[in-house]
Amino acid sequence: MLLQLNNISKWVHSGGQKVFLLKDINFWVHEGDFITIMGPSGSGKSTLLNVIGMLDDFNEGAYTFLEEPVHQLKEKHRANLYKQYIGFVFQAYHLIDELTVRENLEMPLLYKKQSASERKALVADTLDRFNIVGKKDLFPAQLSGGQQQLVGVARALIASPKLILADEPTGNLNSKQGEEIMEIFKELNSQGVTIIQVTHSEKNAAYGSRIIKLLDGRIE
Amino acid sequence: MFKNYFKIIWRNMIRQKQFAFLNIVGLTLGITTCFIIGLYVYDEATYDTFHEKGDRIYRVNQPDIWGDWNNQYASSGPNLAVALRADAPEFEQVTRILDMGAKTVRKHTDGEENIIFKEEQYFAAEENFFEIFSFDFLQGDPKTALKDPTSIVITQETAERYFGDENPMQKPLQVRQTDGSWKTFTITGVLANVPTKSHLQFNILASLNSLAGKMKADGWLWVWTGFSTYGLVKEGVDITALTQKIQAIPPKWAAATAERIFNQSYEEFTAGNPWKLYLEPLADIYLSNSPGFHFFGPNGNPLYVKLFSAIGVLILVLCSINFMNLSTARSSKRAKEVGIRKVLGSERKRLITQFILESTLFVLVSTLLALLLTQLFLNGFNTIAEKELSLIAMFADPVFLVIILSFIVFLGVLAGSYPAFYLSGFRPIETLKGKLGAGFKGKRMRNGLVVFQFTISIALIICAFFVQKQLAFTSSMDLGLIKNNVLQIHNIEQLGTNDQVLKNKLESNAAFTHVGKSYGVPPNVWSGDRYKAFESENPAMNLSDFRTEGDYLEVLGVEFLAGRNFDPERKNDKYGVILNEEAVKILGWGPKETYASNSPIGKYVEMTNENEDKLEVLGVVKDFNFNSVKEKITPLVILHQHNDLVWNYGRGRTFLSARLNPEAVKNTRDIQILIDDIKEEMTQMDASILFEYSFMDQEFENTFRAEERMATVLNIFTLLALIIACLGLFGLAAFSAEQRIKELGIRKVLGAKASELALLFSSEFTKLILISVLLASSIAYFLVDEWLTNFAYRTSIDIWVFTLAALSAFVITILTVCFQTIRVAMANPVESLRTE
Repeated sequence: MLLQLNNISKWVHSGGQKVFLLKDINFWVHEGDFITIMGPSGSGKSTLLNVIGMLDDFNEGAYTFLEEPVHQLKEKHRANLYKQYIGFVFQAYHLIDELTVRENLEMPLLYKKQSASERKALVADTLDRFNIVGKKDLFPAQLSGGQQQLVGVARALIASPKLILADEPTGNLNSKQGEEIMEIFKELNSQGVTIIQVTHSEKNAAYGSRIIKLLDGRIE
Repeated sequence: MFKNYFKIIWRNMIRQKQFAFLNIVGLTLGITTCFIIGLYVYDEATYDTFHEKGDRIYRVNQPDIWGDWNNQYASSGPNLAVALRADAPEFEQVTRILDMGAKTVRKHTDGEENIIFKEEQYFAAEENFFEIFSFDFLQGDPKTALKDPTSIVITQETAERYFGDENPMQKPLQVRQTDGSWKTFTITGVLANVPTKSHLQFNILASLNSLAGKMKADGWLWVWTGFSTYGLVKEGVDITALTQKIQAIPPKWAAATAERIFNQSYEEFTAGNPWKLYLEPLADIYLSNSPGFHFFGPNGNPLYVKLFSAIGVLILVLCSINFMNLSTARSSKRAKEVGIRKVLGSERKRLITQFILESTLFVLVSTLLALLLTQLFLNGFNTIAEKELSLIAMFADPVFLVIILSFIVFLGVLAGSYPAFYLSGFRPIETLKGKLGAGFKGKRMRNGLVVFQFTISIALIICAFFVQKQLAFTSSMDLGLIKNNVLQIHNIEQLGTNDQVLKNKLESNAAFTHVGKSYGVPPNVWSGDRYKAFESENPAMNLSDFRTEGDYLEVLGVEFLAGRNFDPERKNDKYGVILNEEAVKILGWGPKETYASNSPIGKYVEMTNENEDKLEVLGVVKDFNFNSVKEKITPLVILHQHNDLVWNYGRGRTFLSARLNPEAVKNTRDIQILIDDIKEEMTQMDASILFEYSFMDQEFENTFRAEERMATVLNIFTLLALIIACLGLFGLAAFSAEQRIKELGIRKVLGAKASELALLFSSEFTKLILISVLLASSIAYFLVDEWLTNFAYRTSIDIWVFTLAALSAFVITILTVCFQTIRVAMANPVESLRTE
């Protein structure tokens, strides 16, 4: 078991009332899973993904990640945990505009305090693996959306995470670019990387092994 | 259309409160500073403008015949006026005034207690004085007021001091003469108080005719340089030609003086220097600074006026930069509005109009606030700068209102132009798509402006630091005498033979370790004469001198390098002199290392009088500062108090100085008791003598009053410049935080720690500050180096001051941006990365 969520609830107060973003979520993921979270806008998909990614807090329930009780961990410890095991892919890519492709890839390694030579080797490997060696000195603005997302995925993978969290990774891409990204996910999954994606697309969902449908913060 | 403009401006202000607040606070502070400096500069630049014939009045200056002939000297001999009247008909009137020194004046009525004051601003003026200068007469006739030899004109404030509510006209006032007698004058005119903005400041003008005897005897003397000579030229006179013409006067008129007094020919006396006469326009006098020996009132310092003007302009630029920076920084927020307007058909011109209108409105609001603040702070500033500036009075002047209005428009356009052109240049499609890299386009410009701001602020900090350091240095430097704990009692000359009685009393008092009498006391030794080494080919030179007896040198604690002090037991000592090292050197007898082989002791100093009297050198003292430490120690001849061969220039001012015994006098209360006792003592001897005292260390401090004042004002302006720069930095940090929150969010998601983010974020600014520190250090070094050349003794330009300024700049920067730093470092990345 990679992670397990027990009775997770998250709410905000609006006009004196509790508005539930997530309610009584029970959810588990095994290593090697490829899970798709679906649901209409506002159903809490991204919130769930953020909670899993430990970027967001929750108000109630228990979250266990690799046997560690996340809800009891201190901020610092939790940060170390996701830094080590989780990679993020965003719909809007979220590359840093002022950094080149190579520097963008290198960044997660910097924050893991890896040595310069290690970083260099890993960046070179990754560029190679994703076929973007020729683009390494370009800035994000000089790339197409598909290429940018490719860099985004490469960046998520460079620190060899166990789990990839992808929030509508193809949302800003055309269908051909989207397919390429999904193929990469599929291949990664076959190599043993666990993937949780949020998507609106039935076609993308078909790549996954399990689908979780959310409606108004609950699993249907 | 305009209504629409205003609506948008108003709503923008309301919505972006922080931005509006920063802008208005920054502008208001800047404009306030600018106004205060403006008033100060205006005040300094408009001295002596109240004289009706002011544009035709000139002061006639001559070279400093007692020192460097290249320097102008505001004082001249009595005969200059006579010569001008005789030889230069271009003058409608020529008048002279004489500084009489401090006079004791009393209102004496039999059976009543005397009302007595020491009048420091007591001059003698010629009867045509008021035909040139326009001082307001409250009573009396300007034409005849100074005609009678016993006539005296006083100001209203002076009249009230002596007569209260009584009418002072034709009433007598008595003035104490050097021989101790009282001479009676009659008040023939009452003037309105002399305007503060006058380079002539007096309380009492006596008729010069009262000195008829002395004028008759010494009027031909060109070396009696106690006078200032003013001329009123006729209309249409060519000043250059007139100046040319009057150059013939000194050789013609002054030669007799050189021969009779110094036994020298005119050429020998001037040593080949031209005895030039200068015509200095009245309006230039106050701020010209260069003619020395202007006895009759205040002198402005053109350096400070320039310095403060520069600071005023810089501060204005700083706050305009703030406005530009903040405006372009939030341009991403305005970009959409610009885009929509353009799509809807607005021309660029209209957009520019709108933005300039907006900045002008900001300036208008800030100016109004600044006027209030100026009024509020002006009193404080007046106290510090010793000025009487008034804002209210300015409003009566329509020119001032026009200036204020044009100022608002100018600053509005200046501050609004860059944002206006920048913002209106956006391409509508891009802005609407929200694709604008707006933050980065103007980033280099904004960074440049911030660097500029901080360069100025840091340079000011460094300068302010060195000013303080120099002042501390001069007040703690080794003067060669012990200036602390010396009580100086004034007006001793009026005690007559009682002075010895008082001296004995003080000597027997255990509170004092030494007591000594002198004519002139450091740091105010202004007398001097012409001396040369006996049997030397070298010409005579002007050396400073003062008179004393041996025990005064013990009070000062000066060190003898050779020979001995005056000995009261030896009658012949009264024709002996004690020299300082500089005097020995300049007389050609070598530095102190040579005293052993070639002792100056026993040699003679010769005077340039008719008899060529000789004075034996009894001792040599180590150099000590007998004048302000602004000047290098010059050659000094210490004369015996009873030396009757050298003319006594001391103006009859004698002091008893006493060194306090720290064992016996422990606190200010002890000192007060002591002073009260001495006062009692003197009053018993002669109640008519004014009791005055001072402390030598305070007198030394006072010579740096102008510098102290400038330092305080500079500190205030430095602080203001810093606050304005910080406001700008704060706004920029807020903007940058907004711009970078996404990037920093990504970094956080990818594993950056809060501390790493904080460092990354603030380093953007510390880098700028580093550049500023480097630039500022070089600018400040240059300025400080330049300023220090004004001083004979300079503090060292130490690297630690620069380091300290740099460190404080960094601390201030980090504090200023820390609010934003914490915000971005702690922000939840989920918020910033949400895709809508």
